Parts: sequence; C-alpha cells; structure tokens
Amino acid sequence: MRLKLALGLLIALLGTAAGGEEITSGSAFLSPDLRRQQDDPTRNPGWFWVEQGQGLFGRKPGASQACSQCHAEPEKSLRGAATHYPQVDAGTGQLLNLEGRIEQCRVERQKQPAFGYESGELLALTSYVASLSRGLPMDVETRGPAQPFYNAGRAFFERRQGQLNLSCKQCHDGLVGQKLRGDTISHGAGTGYPAYRLEWNGVGSLHRRLRACSLGVRATQFDYGAPEYLALELYLAARARGLPIETPAMRR
Amino acid sequence: MSLPISPPSRHSESAPSRRDIVVGAAAGIGLAALPNAVMAATQPALSELIARLTDGAVPERGRITLEIPALVENGNSVDTRIVVESPMTEADHVRWIHLIAEKNPFPDMARFHLGPRSGRAEVATTLRLATSQKVTVVAALSTGGYLTSDADVVVTLSACIDGG
Amino acid sequence: MAFNARISMPAEARAGEIIEIRVLTRHPMDRGGQSDGKGGTVPRKILNRLTATYSGEPIFRLDMYTGVSANPFVSFTTRALETGDIIFEWREDGGAVFTRTARLTVT
Ligand code: HEC
Ligand code: HEC
Repeated sequence: MRLKLALGLLIALLGTAAGGEEITSGSAFLSPDLRRQQDDPTRNPGWFWVEQGQGLFGRKPGASQACSQCHAEPEKSLRGAATHYPQVDAGTGQLLNLEGRIEQCRVERQKQPAFGYESGELLALTSYVASLSRGLPMDVETRGPAQPFYNAGRAFFERRQGQLNLSCKQCHDGLVGQKLRGDTISHGAGTGYPAYRLEWNGVGSLHRRLRACSLGVRATQFDYGAPEYLALELYLAARARGLPIETPAMRR
Repeated sequence: MSLPISPPSRHSESAPSRRDIVVGAAAGIGLAALPNAVMAATQPALSELIARLTDGAVPERGRITLEIPALVENGNSVDTRIVVESPMTEADHVRWIHLIAEKNPFPDMARFHLGPRSGRAEVATTLRLATSQKVTVVAALSTGGYLTSDADVVVTLSACIDGG
Repeated sequence: MAFNARISMPAEARAGEIIEIRVLTRHPMDRGGQSDGKGGTVPRKILNRLTATYSGEPIFRLDMYTGVSANPFVSFTTRALETGDIIFEWREDGGAVFTRTARLTVT
C-alpha cells in the first residue's frame, strides 16, 4: 500500500522535475559527514583497497612478470589511463573497461588465470590503477569503432524497464536532487568507482552499483562485465566527460 | 535474497515504520514523524542492561557529550564520538566508557578503557545499528560513581539494495 | 587481505601535550549468525580487542562486540611523556593477533 504510494509520488515528481542540467559528481550529493569522511585519508577505508592493489602491482605472480615490470613508474606511465575507459580494444574490436584491460594483461601477458570480476584482487588493482588518475577529467572516445557501443549504451539508459517501468534517465536526469528513501538521486556519473559503499561494508565495482539500480526497478540484472553494462558504462563515462576521477570515493 | 524498493527482511525489526520513512522521503517532506519501533519481547529492558554494568547503581545524567547523527544514513557504520567532562587525574578520572544499543541483537557494542594517562576522556568509533533506537553511553568514574547519557537515532535504508 | 591498519598521529609532541591517535582498520567484523547456505550458520569473527601500550605501559584498551562496524575507525588520546614506541595490538576471535607500531618523539 504505502510502497505504491511512495512510487506514485516519485513518478508524479517526474512531471515537474527539470532535468537536462550539467552533470555533477555523485560526491556532490553526499551528506556533509560522508563527504568529509571520503576526503579524509585517515577515515576513508577505500584506501586499503588502493594500497592492496599497489602491493599486487609490484608482486610477481609465480614465474611471470609483475605488472610493474612492464608498467614501470605507474604514477607517470598509467596516470590518466583510467580516464579513457571503457575503450574499444584494437586487437579484438571488443569494448573493454578498466577491469577488462587488467584481466587482459593478467591472462595474455602474465599467463595467469583471470582474477574474476568483483574478486578482491581485481577490485584492488582496478582501484589502484583508477586512483592514479585522481583529479584528471574523464575523456572517453565515442566515435569510430566506439560509436555503436555508445549508441547501445545511450538507448539502454533511456529505455523504460523493469516492473517499475522506469528508465535510468528518469531517475538520473529527471529526479536529480530528489530524496529516494535515504538516498539523494545524483546524475549517476560513476566517477568514484570502484567505491567504498557503507551498504556493502567494502569496495565494489561500478557494475555492482548498476546491478543494484537494475534490481531497484526490478529489471533484469546483467552479469558483471556483461556487454549491456559495458555499453552503459561507456555512455555514463561520455556523459561525465570532464568530471574528475575520484576513486576511491565513498558512497552510502 | 532481499527485495528492492520494499524493505528487505534482514532489517525487519521495524519494517512498518520504515515504510513511513520511505513515503516521507520520497515526498521530500523530511522525517518529522519518527517511528516508534516495537521493542522485541526477548530483549532485556534498557534499565537492566545498565544495571548490569553498574552493579545496580543508578548512573547520574550529564557531563557526557554523545555525538551521533539523529538521522543515520546507513546503520552499517555510524560515526560516534563521546566526551566526558573529567580532570583525568590519578584521583579523579574516567575508568571506562561503555556503549549500548538496546535493540541490537547483542546490545553491548564497545567498552573503552581509559586512565589518567589518557589526558582527556574523549573517544570515537564507528558503530553498527540494526534499527532505529536509543543509543546509551555509561561512564564509570574512579571515584566510584557512574554517568550516563543517551540519544535517539533513526536509521534509514538504501533505495536500491543489491542483496550483497 | 583480511587485516590492515592505518594509524594517524603526530610524529612529534611536546612533553605533557595530549595527542589524538586515530586508527582505521580493515576487517570485515563478521558478526556471524547468518546462514552459510549449508544448513549451518556463519561463526562470529570480529576483532574483539584493541590495546595500546606506550613505552611498554598500557595506555588504552577497547573491547569490541558485534556493534562495532566493519572496517572500524577508533580514536583516543594520550599524554606525551617520553620518546617511545606506541604498540597497537588487535585480538581476533579464534586467537589471531595483529600488531602495528608507531614512534612518538617527545621534545
Ligand atoms: C608483459 C608485459 C605486461 C604485463 C606483465 C602487464 N601489462 Fe598491462 N599492458 C601491457 C601492454 C603492452 C599494454 C598496452 C596494450 C594496448 O594498448 O593494447 C598494457 C596495457 C595496460 C593498461 C592500459 C593502459 C592504457 O593506457 O590504456 C593497464 C591499465 C594495464 N596494462 C594494467 C596492468 C596490470 C594491472 C597488470 C598486472 C596485473 C599488467 N598490466 C601487466 C603489458 C603488460
Ligand atoms: C528509481 C530511481 C533509479 C533508477 C531508475 C536508476 N537508479 Fe541509479 N541510482 C539511484 C540511486 C538512489 C542511487 C544512489 C544515489 C546516487 O544517485 O548516487 C543511484 C546510483 C547510481 C550510480 C552511482 C552514481 C555515483 O557516481 O555514485 C550510477 C552510476 C547509477 N545509479 C546508474 C544507473 C543506471 C545506469 C540506471 C539504469 C539501468 C539507473 N542507475 C537506474 C536510483 C536509480
């Protein structure tokens, strides 16, 4: 009963909401307390994952080369790398996000079994590599071979879906700034991921966040790394062009 | 597997009240009407929980500042700071500070042991609160007495829960 | 990587000065009791105690129960007396012990 009422109110708001304004970071929608915690390295637990990733980066897995042997001085050589992901892999024509690129190096260059999406190791390495681009603006390619992926992501973002028949856009454009339960709806920029969410008691990937949104509207939850979410991630990244990377962000 | 939008059962103690919050929050009207969750029958009364700590003595109210948000964003991690007025000398200091959440499955949350070398009776931590409830702090003094303070907190839920 | 800690405190202090020590810990603080999917329940596995000694003398102890969050933050104060090591020791359910050391120089 009350639930229906809540959704009715939510959807009624859609008629009045403005939308279409400039995209801002999810951090702008945090409470002052959480924002302070995020910005204080003595309080933000996300840095543990970054530190773990830095350790893994310099360690030789068995007889293979360490990441750092091919990527010397990562603070320089990989600075900015994360701002260009997702991107189309020149070799295979597939869309790769940062997790996908790291797994590619792991499997093809280190000849080691894949870590697996959302594994502790991959989250740590992704957090570390993304953190090397902190403060740099998102800048993904959407033309050329990336165009069809971008178009698919955009179509997904705008399509109404799930039992609640809501599109991503209705919330993350039309209802920005509105309260939904304890959350304040942001633009869905995703520029702080992998992020430490209080809800998770740990760090999780952007795809984990997307799965939560899919479930929130009772739509299909795609697998981690699924083509649908990769295309969506490219569209989100393009929409967030110019926003700085904030990994490891804190989210509610 | 928890359901989205509707409150998941894993935080079920005051589910009906939570829906009130959902309605309030979605309508943007804030949280003026706070829920009055029903105390689980199995839980000992707060006064008993306190008496157990103080060997039956009734703690005096005051001289404690308990900083905890009235509206908690996520019960998984609640920033809490406690300051007790005390000279913290050999003769007169706070021996310990104990935190109770009466409606947590296990109400005792933490006990900080201090002494004259602490310099100040000032501690902080991050707590886990299962539901909206009263958080109580009890401090034991070297002079034999006890102090207490408490705060009512409302715990809100996430909008989109992924069951993980 | 189940455990890690980040200790933040001044490296130097004047004798008699009261310093704040901030400790962020990486630990899931599993409160236990949830279904393990095999008909049983997950056992509790938390850090149940943090102690700090300063030049060998105990200065702080925190007893933790399931009401302390995952990846907990703790802060407390101590009076700077002499140059020495502050040793932090965590005890986990099951008996594992983790330690970290920070040096305080007193001027
Ligand atoms: C044997 C050498 C080698 C090893 C070991 C290696 N890489 Fe790579 N990595 C490369 C090469 C070559 C490229 C460029 C691929 C391309 O652009 O198509 C690359 C690309 C990358 C990129 C993308 C950089 C960009 O600017 O787009 C990232 C991120 C990366 N590697 C991370 C890692 C991580 C993390 C590890 C360890 C798990 C690792 N690499 C191990 C050789 C290596
Ligand atoms: C019912 C409204 C709703 C719908 C529909 C929805 N979300 Fe969300 N989403 C939220 C809320 C609430 C949050 C948490 C607060 C926020 O916006 O950062 C969130 C968070 C996010 C974030 C993290 C933002 C950040 O930077 O921290 C991303 C990315 C996101 N959503 C993408 C999507 C995508 C893609 C879709 C469509 C598949 C979608 N959302 C559908 C409500 C919604």
